Amino acid sequence: MLILGIETATASAGCAIGGHEGVLAHASSGRGRRHAENLVPAIQFICAQAQIELSEISVVAVDVGPGLFTGLRVGIATAKSLAYALKVPMIGVPSLDLLAFPMRFTNRLIAAAIDARRGELYYAFYRQVPGGIQRIGDHQVGTPDDLASELLLSREEILLVGDGAHRYAETFEGMSRVELVDHGFSHPSANSLVQLAHARALREQFAQPDDVDPIYLRKPDAEINWVTRDRP
Amino acid sequence: MKIVARTFDAESTRLLASALAELATPCDLVVLCGDLGAGKTTFCQGFGRGLGVDDQITSPTFTLVRSYTGRLDLNHLDVYRLDQLGEVADLGLSELLDDDSVTLIEWGDQILPALPPDYLEVRLVLGDDDDERRIELTTMGHRWSARHRALSTAIAAWAAEDD
Repeated sequence: MLILGIETATASAGCAIGGHEGVLAHASSGRGRRHAENLVPAIQFICAQAQIELSEISVVAVDVGPGLFTGLRVGIATAKSLAYALKVPMIGVPSLDLLAFPMRFTNRLIAAAIDARRGELYYAFYRQVPGGIQRIGDHQVGTPDDLASELLLSREEILLVGDGAHRYAETFEGMSRVELVDHGFSHPSANSLVQLAHARALREQFAQPDDVDPIYLRKPDAEINWVTRDRP
Repeated sequence: MKIVARTFDAESTRLLASALAELATPCDLVVLCGDLGAGKTTFCQGFGRGLGVDDQITSPTFTLVRSYTGRLDLNHLDVYRLDQLGEVADLGLSELLDDDSVTLIEWGDQILPALPPDYLEVRLVLGDDDDERRIELTTMGHRWSARHRALSTAIAAWAAEDD
């Protein structure tokens, strides 16, 4: 079973191919807004590196956010198109899970935080479980202060990871039980995506392309009250 | 507090907008309101000129968002075709506003719950003559109210009575 993973939820973007043997090839860029232009050539590149034809892919996995809308749109649209064309199922994995996954060897509480822009963070808490991590509670959106008060309230040793934690490092650095993970782990990685998706694929937790949607945490649910437009 | 100006043709509306653009700083938001044909896109063209945008600025009514490169990059949005506030999120507005660029939103007054509290409202009102426009500037939040005096000075040539 070969899994193609596509990850574009933050300023960083990447793709990876892997399966039972782990990750066979991956490509990523640390920053930039050219996800749309770079993603497909990157997929071609890793296929060539791993000597894999696209037709050999049996699952397309994608990071479904929360994250930056521009990137998520590109990544999810690309992943869905490939899944339709290849007639294979998909697996959607939340971005915060991907941030927390490489931290799975600690018994500390793990807090993952992505920069949501405009002074807010997307964040969630995780704990190690055999073979991986488990989310505790929901994905949330809030200010750095909101997250800081949750960290204080938990009274636990905490590992804090993600670009959101670094953008507002001054809020978290002074906290006695909180350690900030360095920049090398600040973005969700396509490698983690392939690894997590593989575990789910073994349990046959697939989704159809139509059912894979981005996680929008702060999407207001209201109609625009068009007085002007409806006027004859 | 409101600043009021008056222009008598499309070109002077562009000149006024261009003068305002001189005061723009990264991450600024300008909300444009006024009836169809009031000159919102005309205003954007002048504002783009003031930001040093070389490309021609056209109405984004059907493309929803267009971005231009200038001294500061300019994002030009038109939300006239949207029905749900949630669709504003689909435009990636949070990222645009956090991107060292300046964002202008036509019909932005219709989506205020989805916008941050700091913005400059520019209201274009039809005047007595066909090409006459009354332009009302209202500063919302400290980002723009701190520039109130500079705004008044920038458009002094077109100043009108607040009636």
